[in-house]
Amino acid sequence: MRPTFVFIILFLLASRASGQTITDHLMMPKKDFCSGFLYTHEQWKDYWEGAEKRDNQNIGIITTSQIMWVGNYGLSDKINLIAMVPYVKTSASGGTLTGLEGIQDLTLAIKYALVEKEISSGTFTAFAILSGSTPLTNYTPDYLPLSIGMASTTVSPRLTVSYKLSSGWYALASGAYVWRSNVSLDRPSYFTDGNIYFTNQVWMPNQFAGFYSFGYNKKALQVELNLTQQNTLGGGDIRKQDMPFVSNRMNAMRLGVLGMYYLPKPKNLALRAQVSYTLNGLNVGQSVAVMAGFLYTFHFGKKENQ
Amino acid sequence: MKKFYIIVLTLVVLVAIPFSCKDIISSENLFPLTPGNVDANAGTWKSISLVSNSQIAVPAPAATNSTAYLAELASIKDIQNKLTSDQKNSIAYWSVGGVLRWNQFFRKLVAQFNLPPVPNADGSYSFADAENPFGNPQFPFSNPPYAARAYSYVSVAMYDALKGAWYYKYQYNRPSPYVVDNDIQALMPKVDLPSYPSEEATMSGAAAEMLKVLFPVAVEEITKMAADQRNAVLWSGKATASDIAAGLNLGKAVAGFLTAAGTGRFRTDGMGASIGTPALWQQLADDTKAKEETPWVSLDAPARPPMLPYFGKVKAWNLSPAQIIAERPAPPPSTSSEQMKQELAEVKSFANNLTRSQLAIVHKWADGVGTYTPPGHWNDIAEEYIRDARFSEVRAARAFALLNMAIHDAGVACWDTKYFYFNPRPSQLDPTIKTSTGIPNFPAYTSGHSTFSAAAAVVLSYLFQNSTHYFDSQAREASISRLYGAIHYRADIELGFSHGTKIGSHTVTFAQIDGAN
Repeated sequence: MRPTFVFIILFLLASRASGQTITDHLMMPKKDFCSGFLYTHEQWKDYWEGAEKRDNQNIGIITTSQIMWVGNYGLSDKINLIAMVPYVKTSASGGTLTGLEGIQDLTLAIKYALVEKEISSGTFTAFAILSGSTPLTNYTPDYLPLSIGMASTTVSPRLTVSYKLSSGWYALASGAYVWRSNVSLDRPSYFTDGNIYFTNQVWMPNQFAGFYSFGYNKKALQVELNLTQQNTLGGGDIRKQDMPFVSNRMNAMRLGVLGMYYLPKPKNLALRAQVSYTLNGLNVGQSVAVMAGFLYTFHFGKKENQ
Repeated sequence: MKKFYIIVLTLVVLVAIPFSCKDIISSENLFPLTPGNVDANAGTWKSISLVSNSQIAVPAPAATNSTAYLAELASIKDIQNKLTSDQKNSIAYWSVGGVLRWNQFFRKLVAQFNLPPVPNADGSYSFADAENPFGNPQFPFSNPPYAARAYSYVSVAMYDALKGAWYYKYQYNRPSPYVVDNDIQALMPKVDLPSYPSEEATMSGAAAEMLKVLFPVAVEEITKMAADQRNAVLWSGKATASDIAAGLNLGKAVAGFLTAAGTGRFRTDGMGASIGTPALWQQLADDTKAKEETPWVSLDAPARPPMLPYFGKVKAWNLSPAQIIAERPAPPPSTSSEQMKQELAEVKSFANNLTRSQLAIVHKWADGVGTYTPPGHWNDIAEEYIRDARFSEVRAARAFALLNMAIHDAGVACWDTKYFYFNPRPSQLDPTIKTSTGIPNFPAYTSGHSTFSAAAAVVLSYLFQNSTHYFDSQAREASISRLYGAIHYRADIELGFSHGTKIGSHTVTFAQIDGAN
């Protein structure tokens, strides 16, 4: 399998700051290891307070930048292991609130190629993926929108199906159910969704994570249009002029365009970039995110061939 | 493939562990109350707002062998024979003690209504209006001073009403239904206390009537809460319909006395004038400039009118207006002084070098928008001590009344200080100072958290003398959290703390002679 495809995998992994989208139709070959760094710059000014869109001069523009290490190892041609660790930094252009920064969550995933079948002039593939994430540091989730993450440990089983024509056009759909663990706050009580809680423990509603893409990939070029969907299955809304809260019902539909160029030299090095925009949402910022990065593939099992 | 299974298994185990406890969230911290002492003499304790505990008349009850009373007993038996699980849950809910439940409930209301008005399109703000509570913004905005006063009025109304209930209980000595009739079960813990008038009904009337005035939008929820308590006590076999009716009338009458138009303390304590006018706000800035000091400006964007600048003129419970002025802390360091520069540098140093554990302290005590406020936090702290002390309802009500009177007085005296000096926040003098919690929309000197917390700790230390050290350490942590958060100077928190200590001692002085010791 071409390293390009590996890179697509890694790119898609990194396509959201949350690091929870582990979707694509490609696999690393056995004993190949791909690793690199991806930088994401994300900004928003307008946000949805519940369903109502507004801005807020007390925060101005919220910027989240992230540099993420990614690694993907081909345990076999059918099984890939994926890991990601981001460093996240937040800031607000308005008001007085300080930004935060730090190492966020470790994501580990195992991806299994369930089905691969030639159908007419294309290939149908299906994958089963199990991923999990957990905070690597004791950062606070209770300082939104400037927290660096949600501090929840998650487990997500995912199913992905794709169909690719020999001409290079492809379509893909992927869905995951995200179980999220309780999180702890630094305070002994909080009010959310119409109730007061006399505990520092917060129940986190689970999520559905969808990813849908349509693209063209042949030789060194790839272009893709994609939709990333996050649906939180419960949780309260941000009330008028209230602060956001970690268990809010945060929903978003984001449209992304990605472009990739696989360098002729040096071999095994790929560059990739994506722009994404939040079309609509609930209790989230309407962000524009730009991602760029590089990845390098090591062929541990194929030295004799190179 | 073996490797694959091992990895999958490891992943599953690793990720499954945190989920095994996902559903255990419970904010139930209370358990059924069996008072250590029924406080039979509470009818003689000093009333706070009434002339005497017998001020509200409660007529003599029907005899326990009267037809009317026997019919009430029969009705309880009938209900107990077909209790639904919802009814049993209600009984269990209220078995922990009504005073604790109501305190939790008003913390909830404060958090629910603690939202500042949204700026208008032109950058101005509308005020929450008691005459139009369902408008936008809704009424009230239960910010810390509003909350401090609210907690104190509800607590005092409940406490005074309960002392009245105790007075009549021992005057009429009507036993509980389950004592009169062995066929009636006691589904709440048995308390050796006369049941007429019912203490639960009394507190439900006092609390609900006060809360309806304070949080009019929540009238439906408040009414249901109160009715649920009265139903629960009836179903439990602890009180009959006439015990409950008498208690309800008494409780409502005490709240009615406090809130009577034109004469009630609640109507005449100065709260109505606490917002002031644009001309008066300008005067505060002009007066400060005249002293050659930099006046406070709102750091909200768009700039917001100062929060309740004349709350310092609201009537306190245990300090006279003259005492408030006499005990007002000395001026803060001049905004142009070397000391102020040093204090500003210290704030900046905390802002730039905050550790994770210091941030946790900032957030533990932030108690900002959408929370029960610092006064609520101290009620939260008091809760477990009152619970563990197994106080009778009337003594639990006393504890909250004392605590919340001191907190209200701290709010009044602190607001008087804040608007007398009108001192800027650190980020106003140095806009490069970034804060790790929101900057409250009022002047810096002195710190409200420090004043509230010190006053609360003094009262709780008086009530629970074995835990003095704990209350003091919590108050000091609350106080320093504001310096860690870079929203207060050291002078604000230190002078605020000693001011709060003095204010709290006035309530302790009252408590020492109120007849409850």
